[in-house]
Amino acid sequence: MSDLDAAMIRAHAAGDRAALIRLYEQAADGAADLDAACFYLTHAYIFALEAGVPEARVLHARLVAQGREA
Amino acid sequence: MTALTDLSTVGTSIERAHGLPNAHYIDPAVFEEEKHALLLSQWVGLAVAADLPEPGDAKPLEFLGMPLLLLRDKDGDVRVFENICRHRGMILVNAPRKIEGAIRCPYHSWCYSTKGALVSTPHVGGPGHNTHEAIRRDELGLSEIRSHIWRDVVWINVSGDAPAFEEAHADLLRRWADFEQPLHHGGADSTFSLAVATNWKLAVENYCESYHLPWVHPGLNSYSRLEDHYHIERPGEYSGQGTMVYRQLSDKTGATFPDFPEVGSKWNEQAEYVSVYPNVLLGVHRDHAFAVLLAPQGPERTLEHVHLYYAAADTDGGLRARNTQLWRAVFEEDICVVEGMQRGRHAPGFDGGRFSPVMDSPTHCFHDWVAGRIEAHRERARAAE
Repeated sequence: MSDLDAAMIRAHAAGDRAALIRLYEQAADGAADLDAACFYLTHAYIFALEAGVPEARVLHARLVAQGREA
Repeated sequence: MTALTDLSTVGTSIERAHGLPNAHYIDPAVFEEEKHALLLSQWVGLAVAADLPEPGDAKPLEFLGMPLLLLRDKDGDVRVFENICRHRGMILVNAPRKIEGAIRCPYHSWCYSTKGALVSTPHVGGPGHNTHEAIRRDELGLSEIRSHIWRDVVWINVSGDAPAFEEAHADLLRRWADFEQPLHHGGADSTFSLAVATNWKLAVENYCESYHLPWVHPGLNSYSRLEDHYHIERPGEYSGQGTMVYRQLSDKTGATFPDFPEVGSKWNEQAEYVSVYPNVLLGVHRDHAFAVLLAPQGPERTLEHVHLYYAAADTDGGLRARNTQLWRAVFEEDICVVEGMQRGRHAPGFDGGRFSPVMDSPTHCFHDWVAGRIEAHRERARAAE
């Protein structure tokens, strides 16, 4: 398991939304292909949307740019 | 289809009328029928808006088995939704909490705004693809229940086809226009709930009438005698009682709660107590008000949620606690009679009882409303066959 995976699991267990947003975005930026990147980006966006934080707008725009979000 | 009960003797003149048959208090089939005829089709009291002080506050509730979500949206409006995701019907919110951004379903993370709009459907078109032409977000918002706030009570009309609240209760709105002023919930020390082994209608009936006051509430009677009370009857809408000798609660220094501003001298010693059909019991006084919401739990169980209100946000805590205790004692004194009448409804020989033509007319007014609504419901069912 990578350090990133382990950190994600810890963040899920702690319900640490700020960490989840940051870690999933990090995973998206390091993904090998577009589908994997958008998968992670979606998770970052959903947690940001739920938290009502400004990052949601940026993440939403990234997904829209790839044709993955309305 | 044969009618579940014979209501022919209920709506007749009070001198000859009988009360509702036993089955209306103990039979699950009649409870189910009444659920539609008397509750879902009307404006029922669900909760109070004070439960949601700030935008984003959310509270899950059950009413007649339905999972509902009470929510104050980002603009401050109170809304009621079915508390389920439009995807797989998963319960969305399990405990009272603040919605900071969106409501995220705990199953597949579909997200809704506080106004109920479906705002994201993650992976709905495959991993990393969050849209699909078959999933039209504008058609899949949360199912909103028609609601209206009056006297801080969140009234809902589940069937969606009752007349507008202001129309349905125009007469009571006019009657209590003097009290159309901001209400301040007394807070945590001004609310309590009672679990009562009774059908919800017996709580309404008991609240309607003053006949029992000197027998069941002798303490209350020391300052509010039977002859100081009058009946309030608006067939089809509400009934209750009024008093001409209300006295304000005071502390050792003689201090009282502040009055509702400009409420009028008419209310100096007058107070009114009204059962708003079907399930809300309201009281108004010059210096405080209350709302009792009846939550039917089945034919023989009811939860009574009591909330007290004042004219100002900063009333004295000691006086408030005494007032809560006073009303709690009154409502607890009523428990033995409504539970006693409930047990009595298992006597096969009981014919629904009779009414005092002088003292019981507010109760008969309620029975007449119940019978009329049920007969109309049965007629519609027959016509649809």
